[in-house]
Amino acid sequence: MTDTLIKMQNVDKFFGDFQALKNINLEVKRGERIVICGPSGSGKSTLIRCINRLEKHNNGHIFIAGKELTDQVKDIDAVRREVGMVFQSFNLFPHMTIVKNLMLAQRLVRKIKKPEAHKTAMHFLERVKIAEQADKYPVQLSGGQQQRVAIARALCMKPEIILFDEPTSALDPEMINEVLEVMTDLAKEGMTMICVTHEMGFARSVADRIIFMDEGEIVEEAVPEEFFDNPKNERTKQFLSQILTH
Amino acid sequence: MEAVDGWWDDYFWGSMIVLQVFFFSLILMVIFGLIGAAAKLSDNVVAQKIAGAYTIIFRGTPEILVILLLYFGSAITLTAIVQIFSPDTKFVDVPPLWAGTIAIALIVGSYATETFRGAFLGVKEGSIEAARALGMSDLQTFIYVRIPEMWRLALPPFGNHMLSLIKDTALISIIGLNETFFVAKQAIGTTGEPFTMYIVVGGIYLAFSSIVTLSVMGMEKFGARTGEGAR
Ligand SMILES: Nc1ncnc2c1ncn2[C@@H]1O[C@H](COP(=O)(O)OP(=O)(O)OP(=O)(O)O)[C@@H](O)[C@H]1O
Ligand SMILES: [Mg+2]
Repeated sequence: MTDTLIKMQNVDKFFGDFQALKNINLEVKRGERIVICGPSGSGKSTLIRCINRLEKHNNGHIFIAGKELTDQVKDIDAVRREVGMVFQSFNLFPHMTIVKNLMLAQRLVRKIKKPEAHKTAMHFLERVKIAEQADKYPVQLSGGQQQRVAIARALCMKPEIILFDEPTSALDPEMINEVLEVMTDLAKEGMTMICVTHEMGFARSVADRIIFMDEGEIVEEAVPEEFFDNPKNERTKQFLSQILTH
Repeated sequence: MEAVDGWWDDYFWGSMIVLQVFFFSLILMVIFGLIGAAAKLSDNVVAQKIAGAYTIIFRGTPEILVILLLYFGSAITLTAIVQIFSPDTKFVDVPPLWAGTIAIALIVGSYATETFRGAFLGVKEGSIEAARALGMSDLQTFIYVRIPEMWRLALPPFGNHMLSLIKDTALISIIGLNETFFVAKQAIGTTGEPFTMYIVVGGIYLAFSSIVTLSVMGMEKFGARTGEGAR
């Protein structure tokens, strides 16, 4: 259980002249739960989007399950098969029913036959407690329900790791918990997760490590108790005092 | 209305011509629109310029003029070519049906270019990213996500383009296409009852456009079921 799933070595990312990631070094082991936080624009999304190649890093190396992420389409496809992603704005396919949303990539990418894809889809919809909505369309669901569907959609691909980019920040407050519960369950089952979130209660109870980013750098990296009770860096302290007061 | 007796069969065949022109121009219009949109969205500057010129020219000139220029332009060209082989030839033309069909498809296709371009850009990047993150290839993403979502955005303006096509068929009578408008003019010549004859033409076109409107409404309803289609 100690093998490394993700390794980022000296990763830089530029948007034009602007450097969004500066010399990122990060290792994530199988089964680890990482929470990333930091102020807006600090590069949190960019970091996790580099992991599944939604953004292309400019310098350094990224290895996923031992395979290096290069420009080769076959490497990118291989990585995307291992890495699931859940977005802030759910990003369900609006023209398909919920169950079809879950079946599409199984069939196209994993080449799974329809009945089996359907079975898998229903299995994961049940796990996120939403099976009764299978034949509805995304707009007919609440934000919290849509986000749970999005998590189920990622799970259908049987990924090694799931990336979450602020999965609850587009939700009404009363829906945040239903999504966090699903994520907590996943964590308990040993899913490897990297989660950008400002839900500090979730971070404290679920994370193995918390990473604080500012201006494209990893500023601090610590286990939750240390991170919250005894932060080392000034910027972390400032950030925590802001976020914990409201 | 007795004056119309004896002309109904002509009107019927005229209507069939309207349908025929509509059918073929619809296909061509979609093709021109898609090519135009693809060119405008491409990175190729030359393609962008050509598509830009296309939409400016065809949206900015009277439709009847486009039909006349295309018909006579192609006839002159064709005649010149044929005269090389048989110098006695006086006049060869592209059949009015085809010259007219292509002309109105080009005209409405220039509007469709903008519609398709807008719909393409209107698809939320989020859906596309989700598809990529799930490991779908660019082609799969295009076919299963981009096109169906684009279609819902394009449908309402697309319905208007179909109505334009139906109405523009009447213009093709000017180059001698024997559609309903042409039939009416002939009928007026013998009966001297312009109002009656044109009312019949109006009825026929209204029937066609109602069918188009209703089917577009049906499709929009189908799209609205899934959410944002009716925006
Ligand atoms: N596609 C892009 N083009 C140009 N600049 C970008 C792009 N994406 C992100 N950036 C810039 O990179 C920086 C980091 O962005 P990123 O989205 O990773 O921040 P973040 O930490 O996720 O912020 P937030 O909490 O607001 O989501 C920001 O300054 C942003 O403006
Ligand atoms: Mg972000």
